Amino acid sequence: MVSLARTIRNIRRVGLREWWRQMQYIGDAKSGRLVGTDQFGNRYFENTNPEEEVPGRHRWVDYAQHEYNATQVPPEWHSWIHHIRKDPPTQDPVMQNLSPPWKAPWIENLTGTRGAFKTYNTTKPKYEAWEPKAIPRGQSSS
Amino acid sequence: MSFVRALVAAGPSTGLAAGRITASRLALAYRWHSTQSPRDPLLTTEHKEHLIPEVQVRSPGARIYTAADEPGKDFDPYKDGPSAVDKAVHLFFFTEIIRGMWIVLEQFFRPPYTIMYPFEKGPLSPRFRGEHALRRYPSGEERCIACKLCEAICPAQAITIESEARLDGSRRTTRYDIDMTKCIYCGFCQEACPVDAIVETQNQEFSTETREELLYNKEKLLANGDRAEAEIAANLQADHVYR
Ligand code: SF4
Ligand code: SF4
Repeated sequence: MVSLARTIRNIRRVGLREWWRQMQYIGDAKSGRLVGTDQFGNRYFENTNPEEEVPGRHRWVDYAQHEYNATQVPPEWHSWIHHIRKDPPTQDPVMQNLSPPWKAPWIENLTGTRGAFKTYNTTKPKYEAWEPKAIPRGQSSS
Repeated sequence: MSFVRALVAAGPSTGLAAGRITASRLALAYRWHSTQSPRDPLLTTEHKEHLIPEVQVRSPGARIYTAADEPGKDFDPYKDGPSAVDKAVHLFFFTEIIRGMWIVLEQFFRPPYTIMYPFEKGPLSPRFRGEHALRRYPSGEERCIACKLCEAICPAQAITIESEARLDGSRRTTRYDIDMTKCIYCGFCQEACPVDAIVETQNQEFSTETREELLYNKEKLLANGDRAEAEIAANLQADHVYR
């Protein structure tokens, strides 16, 4: 049970509309600094004040999609929200310098949909079905 | 025979009430009979004096023998209440309950520690071993040289590799399959790899609805690497001072 004072304080900061949205998704009134937005429109927040947020709950994401899913966070922000890296990717020179030009777009986990990964063989088959070649009568089979 | 002797010994006090006499006489007789045997090792001189009726004739109604009269049972250590150990245990266990309840009470008035996954997530290490990925060089060339060290070291035998020389003569894998349902996420493959080709990314959210989706092939592993290369490289950079 979060305290009433904390709820009222956070509602006053973020406004009723944002609070309603938070109650639909994260289920708790939270207020913090907007750290950034990724290419999918997910918003990332941080509040490092230990008086206001329990350490460990100080970074959170507001998913853009209604059908939210943990894999909708792209890897760069995944590093940040998992506390692997201190700085968000927008301010992290290491992350930016190590992003190659051939980086592929991030795709969420599509299991249970038609986009789910279905495995296949990447080699030439070792044996094939027999394809009979009929030789016309009168010719030598050689 | 001994019963008769006991009866004779108790003779002088037969003037008392008949019922009482009979009961205590029987008890005395039984007792004397059971302890008089010379084979009894517990029989000491003191007890002999105490029990032999010829030496110490007593009134059978004056005392009723009970189980407490048995040798060795005449001293009761718990006679004056619980022992010191008992009392200490009770005291400490009781205060322990109080202290435990106090911690519960403290936590009741504190904000909860629950992390609201997937909006908030717990911390992970740069060395976290999650879903596998095959990496590429910054030029875009795939790193794996089909040395099969990862296949050899894999304790779960989850990796299957087949290789061929490419048209330019460079040896590459044609098949790189990892059965993610066999894998135990030990990380030996990424440690065995001489070119940092196979790595385990920090992605732990690759659960699927069917088992088939977890039989990764080379294309899937390369795609994982292509998508998460920035994160993988940053993690390796963060960890390089320890390697
Ligand atoms: S993590 Fe361990 S079990 Fe999994 S593929 Fe690598 S070596 Fe095999
Ligand atoms: S992934 Fe690494 S260890 Fe495994 S075959 Fe390729 S180069 Fe060798």
